[in-house]
Amino acid sequence: MIDLIDQINPLGGVIALFFVVSLISILWWMLHPPDYIPAAAAKARHSVFAVKKILVPTVGLPYAERGVELACRLGSEQGAEILLTYVVEVPRTMPLGIPLPDAEQEGNEALERACSIVKLHGLPFQKILQRARLAGEEIARIARDRDVDMIILGIRSEPGLRDAILGRTSDIILRHSPCEVLIDKLPKGAQE
Amino acid sequence: MTSEVRAPSAALPGAPVELRRDVSIWGSFTWGYADVGADVYVALGLVMGAAHGATPLAFAAAGFVYILIGFAYTELASAYPVAGGGQYYTTRGLGDIWGLIAGAALLLDYTICISLFATASAGYINFFFPAIREFAIDIGPFQGINLIWAAESLFLIVLLMILNIRGIRESSLFNSLIGGLDMVLETIIIVFGFLFAWKPEMVVFQFKTEFPSTEQFFYAVSVAIISYVGLESVSQAAQETRRPATIIPRTSVSLICVVLLFAMAFPILALGVLPWQALAERESDPVAVLASAIPYIGFLAGHAAAVLGATIVLISANTGVMGASRLSYSMSESHLLSPWFSAVHPKFRTPVRAVVFFSVVAAAQVIFSFLTGPHAMDTMVNMYAFGATLAYFLSFIALIALRIKDPYTPRPYRMPFNIQFKGIYIPILGIVGAFATLAMMGVVLWTHALGRVAGPGWVLLWLAVYLWYRWKNRHPLFSNLPRDWEKEQIAILTSAEEFDLLEQYKHALAERNKKEAKHASQ
Repeated sequence: MIDLIDQINPLGGVIALFFVVSLISILWWMLHPPDYIPAAAAKARHSVFAVKKILVPTVGLPYAERGVELACRLGSEQGAEILLTYVVEVPRTMPLGIPLPDAEQEGNEALERACSIVKLHGLPFQKILQRARLAGEEIARIARDRDVDMIILGIRSEPGLRDAILGRTSDIILRHSPCEVLIDKLPKGAQE
Repeated sequence: MTSEVRAPSAALPGAPVELRRDVSIWGSFTWGYADVGADVYVALGLVMGAAHGATPLAFAAAGFVYILIGFAYTELASAYPVAGGGQYYTTRGLGDIWGLIAGAALLLDYTICISLFATASAGYINFFFPAIREFAIDIGPFQGINLIWAAESLFLIVLLMILNIRGIRESSLFNSLIGGLDMVLETIIIVFGFLFAWKPEMVVFQFKTEFPSTEQFFYAVSVAIISYVGLESVSQAAQETRRPATIIPRTSVSLICVVLLFAMAFPILALGVLPWQALAERESDPVAVLASAIPYIGFLAGHAAAVLGATIVLISANTGVMGASRLSYSMSESHLLSPWFSAVHPKFRTPVRAVVFFSVVAAAQVIFSFLTGPHAMDTMVNMYAFGATLAYFLSFIALIALRIKDPYTPRPYRMPFNIQFKGIYIPILGIVGAFATLAMMGVVLWTHALGRVAGPGWVLLWLAVYLWYRWKNRHPLFSNLPRDWEKEQIAILTSAEEFDLLEQYKHALAERNKKEAKHASQ
C-alpha cells in the first residue's frame, strides 16, 4: 500500500482529485432540479407578480399606514408603483372648490408620512390629493383612470355599526372598484 | 430540494398523436454525452495526428467556441423546448428558407453520425475477430471490399432503427446505461493515468519541441469541434423531455462542463504518458493505446477499450437516428419538408417514417463508403464538420434575432454578458460566437478539400427538394408562411407542463398589449 502511494505523482494526484470532485459536483447539481410548479400554483404566483400599480388610500392613521407598508412588501419583488391617495370629502352643502386649508394640510401631512414608508423600500410612487363628495367614489375613479391593478385598504371596525363591519368608504370601493381589493383589518386593541 | 419529475399527462381523446415525453434528466444528459463521448474517442487520435504537442491547446480552442455554442443552445432550448434544435430556432428567428438551410446542415451531420459510428462500432467488435477484420473481396471495379464488416454495419443500423421505432424510452434507456458505464470507465482511465503514469515534464517537453504548423493546428481545431455536436442532440430531445425548460438548461450546462473535463483531461494525460506519435498512429483506438500504458489496469485495457469503444460509438449512432428523425419531424411540422415525415406511430408515438427514411440514407452512405474505400470516410468526416459549423453559425444569428423579435418569451437561462438597449438584451457572447463559428466554418472550408464540395452540395440538394415541395403545395418559395408564434409558444409551454413560464409569458404579452393599446389611444 505504501509502495502504491509512493508511486503517485503529487501533481497528477491533484488533477485526478480535481477531476473526480468536479465530475461528481456537476452531476449532483444536474440531478437536483427545482421542484415542479403545478398550473394553479403558477397562476396564483404570477397573478400577484402582475400587480404593477397599487393604490393605497390613506387617512393618516396607523391602520392606514400599515396598508402602505403591506403594499410596499407586496410590490417590492416586481418593483410596483405605489399610488398614495388622500381624499378630502367636501359636504354637498359647500361648493367643491371652497378653501379648506386645515383639511388639505392634514392630507399633505398624511401623504408625507406614507411617502416616507415607500421611500424605505425604494419603490416608485405618486402622491394624489383630491377633493370629492364621496371618498369611496373618488378612489374607485382614480383606480379606473390610472389602470390600477390593486387597491390595499387598511381598515378598522366601525364601533357604531352592529351588522356591517365596513365603513361607507370601504363599502363603496368594494362595490365600484375596477380591480382587486385587499382589505387589512387589525384585531381589536391593536389599532392604537 | 428533490429531483421529482412529474408523469406526462395523458393525451386527450381525438387529439393528434404527438411525441411522448419519456426522457428523464439522466436520459437527456446521456443523449448528449453519448454523442460527444464517442466523438472524443475518435477525435483524440485525429487531433493528435495534426496538432502533435499542441493537442490540448487545439481542444481548448475548439472548447472555447463550444462553450459559446453551449450557452446559446442552453438559452434557446430552454426558451423553445421543441424538437428541431438549430433548425427550429433559425426558422423562428430568420425565416423559413434559413431554417431549411440549418436543418439540411444538421441532417447531414445526423445521417453521417449514424453511418460513421455504426461502421466504427462494427470495427471495434471486429477487434475480437481478426479474420473478419482482414477479410477483403473484389467485386467488379471495386477492390478490397470487406463485405462482412459492411453487413455488420448495416445490421447495427437496422437494430438501431427498430429500437427507435419501438420508443424513445427504450432508446433512451439504452443510452443511459451505456453512457453511464462509459463515463465510469473513462473516469477510471483518467484517474489511474494521472495517479500512476502521468509525467508533467513529458507534456512540457512535447509542447515545446513538437508544435505543429499553423495550418495543421487550425485543421486540428476544426476536427476537435466535431467532438461537440452532442449539444444539438440534447435540444432534439427537448420535445420528449419532461419539464424541458427546467431540465434542458441543467443537462446542457452539465454536458458543457463534463465534456470539457473529459476533452481536456484525455490529451493532457495522453501527452504525459506517451509520445504523440504513438496515439496518432492508432487513430481508430487511441484510448485503448493510452489505457494499455497505465499501470494496474493496462493488462485489461485492450479488451475493455474495444468493448467500450464498440458500445459508445453505437450509442452515438443511436443518437444520430434519434436526431435525424426528430429534426425531420420538426421540419415537416414547419412545412419545410413534406408532412410525410411527421407521421407518428399510433402505438409507439415515434416518428416512424422519418426513422426508417434516414436509417436507409445512412445505410446507403455505409454501402457507398465501403465501395469507395477509406476516402469516402474522409469525405464524411469533412462534411460532418461543415454541417455542424454552418448550423451553429445560423443558430447564433437566430439567437440575436430572437432577442430582438421575441423579447417576451421567458428565458429560464440567458447567455451571460448582455447590453440592455430599449428593453432588449443584446448578447455580446452571442455576437462573439457568431464570428467564432463563421471563422470555424472558414477553416473547415479551407482545410477540408472534399468537404467544401460535398457539404454545400448536400445543402443545395435539400434546398431543391424544399423549393419543389413549396411550389407543389403553392406555398411561398422565398418568403415565410404565416405563423402565429405566440399561440404556438403557449401551446409548447402548456404541452411541456411548464406552467410557471406559461404564466410569465402570458403576463408579458398582456403588458405589451396594454402598452400598445395605451400608445394607440394617445
